[in-house]
Amino acid sequence: MDKDLSARVMRDMDPELLEFLQLYVDSFVKWDLLYFFHENPHTIDTVENIARYAGRTPAAVHSALQELAQRRLLEETEMGEMVVYALTPNPQKRAQLEQFIRAGEDRQFRVKAIFHMVRGVGDD
Amino acid sequence: MTERPAIATERIPTGIIGLDEMLHGGFLPQSANLVEGAPGCGKSTLGMHFIYHGALQGEPGMILTFEEFPQQYYRDAAAFGWDFRALERQGLLRIVMSSPEVIKADLERVGGTLERQIAEMGTRRILVDSISHFERVSDTPVTLRSHIYAFLNGLRREGLTSLLTRETPYLLGEEITANSDADSSFIADSYLLLRYVEIESAVRRALIVLKMRGSDHDHRIRQFDIGPQGLYVAQPFSGREGLLSGTSRRMSESFIKAFVKR
Repeated sequence: MDKDLSARVMRDMDPELLEFLQLYVDSFVKWDLLYFFHENPHTIDTVENIARYAGRTPAAVHSALQELAQRRLLEETEMGEMVVYALTPNPQKRAQLEQFIRAGEDRQFRVKAIFHMVRGVGDD
Repeated sequence: MTERPAIATERIPTGIIGLDEMLHGGFLPQSANLVEGAPGCGKSTLGMHFIYHGALQGEPGMILTFEEFPQQYYRDAAAFGWDFRALERQGLLRIVMSSPEVIKADLERVGGTLERQIAEMGTRRILVDSISHFERVSDTPVTLRSHIYAFLNGLRREGLTSLLTRETPYLLGEEITANSDADSSFIADSYLLLRYVEIESAVRRALIVLKMRGSDHDHRIRQFDIGPQGLYVAQPFSGREGLLSGTSRRMSESFIKAFVKR
């Protein structure tokens, strides 16, 4: 991957959005999940049910949910044998998510964000 | 002369024209109220109307949905001019999507997520749409009833007046039977039945309050419809019987059928 091109694409992105992308959105599954929790901000459910709502398999969303919880954007709670996920009640983090979703309405931003994710995958 | 026992006068009005009259002012506070009917007959609309009316009176409400996405409620409410998104921003409404097994486990915890949200908002009313999904929690009728009983008590404990919807698979008429082992109508405080009825080749909607614990209520079967401002209950069906079977007949016809030998 051309490092100069990557740097150029990222340079003209809002630093807060870039930080959000780097912290939370390193896969399409996570992007989908963030969109889902933004649209349904008071969802509280298991991996299996969230996968069903998102139209994915549990295997596809499990690690993404765990990672988003480790990064404190989601809350992970154990209820007996169940583990459930919900969006953090932290207003600052919710505002960041809102900002990301709003930015995603712009095609140029989406292209840059996708570039970031693809680059992330390539770097792995 | 002996004094009659005091009757609870505080009511939680639904705001639905005609229904509050049938309920003698509304539901009783902290009661669990079951609304049963066929798909599309207006159960969720009735529930949304109840929540919306509360929000207008400054009583925060919650919609607990199993399977149905919150967007569906925003969209359906908007059709009546009810801005549910604005109510959410004002802290008067919250639409929670979850599953029965999670909600049941959450309500059993001390300081669970739902309990926290109810306390934060000062929630007074809740629509549970629909309680039929609890059927997947257990195959055993007795256990299912126990789960629903515990769930309803959890809602009462939180001080909520609840409206619970339940689907019937039948579009028109069905034999009304109740299995006390599993049937949530036994553990609900009131039981409203919504029905499609066929009258002279047209399908109309009918509503009856079958039970209201601790209160008198209108026992007549009344017509209802969904208009531009939500649900409204109209006059009782007159000169008809057999409405709950789904196919009504004029009383004179049934009189003849009953008394004239063929």
